[in-house]
Amino acid sequence: MTGAQPIAAPDLAIEIRGLQKTYYSGFFRRPSRGLESLDLEVPKGEIFGFIGPNGAGKTTTIKCLVGLQYPTAGHAFLLGQPIGSPEARRPLGFLPERPYFYQHLTAREFLDFYGQLFDIPAALRRQRTDALLARVDLERVADKPLHTYSKGMLQRAGVAQALINDPQLIILDEPMSGLDPLGRMLIRDLMLEEGRRGRTVFFSSHVLSDVQSICHRVGLIAGGRLRAIGSIDELLSEQVQHVDCTVRVPPQVPLLGEAVTSRGDERIVRLPPEQLDDLLVQVRQAGGQVVQVIPNRKTLEDLLLSELGRNDPTTPPGVSP
Amino acid sequence: MNRIWAIAKNTHREAIRDRVLYSLLFFACVMLVASLVTEEITIGDQEKIMRGTAMGAISLFSSVIAMFLGVSLVYKELERKTIYTIAAKPIPRWMFVMGKYFGLLLTLAVNLGIMALLYLVIMGLRLGMPHPSLLAFLALLFVELMLLTAWATLFSTYSGPTTASAFTLAVFVIGHLADDIWSFGQQAESPWVQRLSEFLYWALPNFEIFNVQPEATHELAIGWARVATATGYGLAYSTVVLIAAVVVFQQRDFK
Repeated sequence: MTGAQPIAAPDLAIEIRGLQKTYYSGFFRRPSRGLESLDLEVPKGEIFGFIGPNGAGKTTTIKCLVGLQYPTAGHAFLLGQPIGSPEARRPLGFLPERPYFYQHLTAREFLDFYGQLFDIPAALRRQRTDALLARVDLERVADKPLHTYSKGMLQRAGVAQALINDPQLIILDEPMSGLDPLGRMLIRDLMLEEGRRGRTVFFSSHVLSDVQSICHRVGLIAGGRLRAIGSIDELLSEQVQHVDCTVRVPPQVPLLGEAVTSRGDERIVRLPPEQLDDLLVQVRQAGGQVVQVIPNRKTLEDLLLSELGRNDPTTPPGVSP
Repeated sequence: MNRIWAIAKNTHREAIRDRVLYSLLFFACVMLVASLVTEEITIGDQEKIMRGTAMGAISLFSSVIAMFLGVSLVYKELERKTIYTIAAKPIPRWMFVMGKYFGLLLTLAVNLGIMALLYLVIMGLRLGMPHPSLLAFLALLFVELMLLTAWATLFSTYSGPTTASAFTLAVFVIGHLADDIWSFGQQAESPWVQRLSEFLYWALPNFEIFNVQPEATHELAIGWARVATATGYGLAYSTVVLIAAVVVFQQRDFK
């Protein structure tokens, strides 16, 4: 961090100004940029999804925010406190990517230990530990050591430790990674519940459908720069991009659009929405049958792919057109 | 202080659930019991040889355990990435280093206590009440372990266990040769060699200052002034090394 410390905005849970991170590696200490002057604001009470490809800078941003790495330049604040100070981490709950915990501890001991790091009184620690174990469905195995847990159970224990201090701001790095659908649903519900309680949830994820379904706003990072930010509605148009149409017609009949698959008489064709009427006429004339019509709107995945396809690192961040 | 104590307790709990520790402790106890055999195979001064062998075993195994646990003390947290969730809590990094250090000292104190108890039982049955010099031996051995652990902690904050082991062992060996380094310099003709040996003598730890095993073996009185001087030296030196460990750890990025 450099220069005079700016004043933090009071209504923001996360405020990042020109954050940069440079790594040096190899014998000649060659520099490589992890973050290029990142600016980001997350208001209090928002569920914010942070997406981007591998190596985009998501984890680097999170590590700088929670005090695991020092930024090379720039400023950032968590709930008005400059990052790096232990006080900034007091109202923070954090789950790292692929969390590793003390394997010798039981889940109960583990949560109690983390509660002690916040100076939470013993009676309150016990109360919160019991409540959290129930909330993440680990009550039955609460007294078994963590090395006997499955990946999903460890992830749930990790989420529980992130909530032991009843945090105002929850930062989760890839919380859905490697979980089965039930595990993902549990974590998703927990995030929504915390959002309803007025907590700010900031999480990175590769599971774009989850991001799309629960976030108020999304930020897309690539190459250490913020490429797009906005609400789902702002980023993704409601307009139908293309239509997937399943039809049953004889194989020799030519059809409009791009053939996706065909099996016997049944074919799936993809075409622009304005050609759908013409396709239906073709099918009727050939004496065929329309089985299914699926309109496809732009998804976060499309946005991510289109942003990655744009190899222009100088693209200024902002709401995508 | 509560937070340091929480980390110390967790470190101690992790160590006592480690099977390797029990193996080392087991061998230490075997060596202590084996010291009884020396009575059968030595002529004259059997009591001194029994005491010397047993104290040597306590000293050796305590140091081995301190080095074994100390060199991976902080590194293990980085390697296993358990540090990620700890460092993201409102814990200043110095508190973490101190918590780990005190947790290891607690483990070493318990181990030393077990070995001392076994020593008292074995020697008590054979040789009667122990001489008070045993207390000075145990106290100074613990101060030595404090200093050794501080060095191991320092190396552990920036290097892997293999490198840290090599460095800690080097400090341990050189520390026991400190008086020889001084003597070598005094006998050298070159003033440069003299100055270098003096510099090394004062810069490197002198572990021999804690060594009262010969006096304790011969049941000679050990003055409290000597114990206090060695303890003060050990505490001051450990503090300096721990400050260096905190400074190094404070700069680290956790990748």
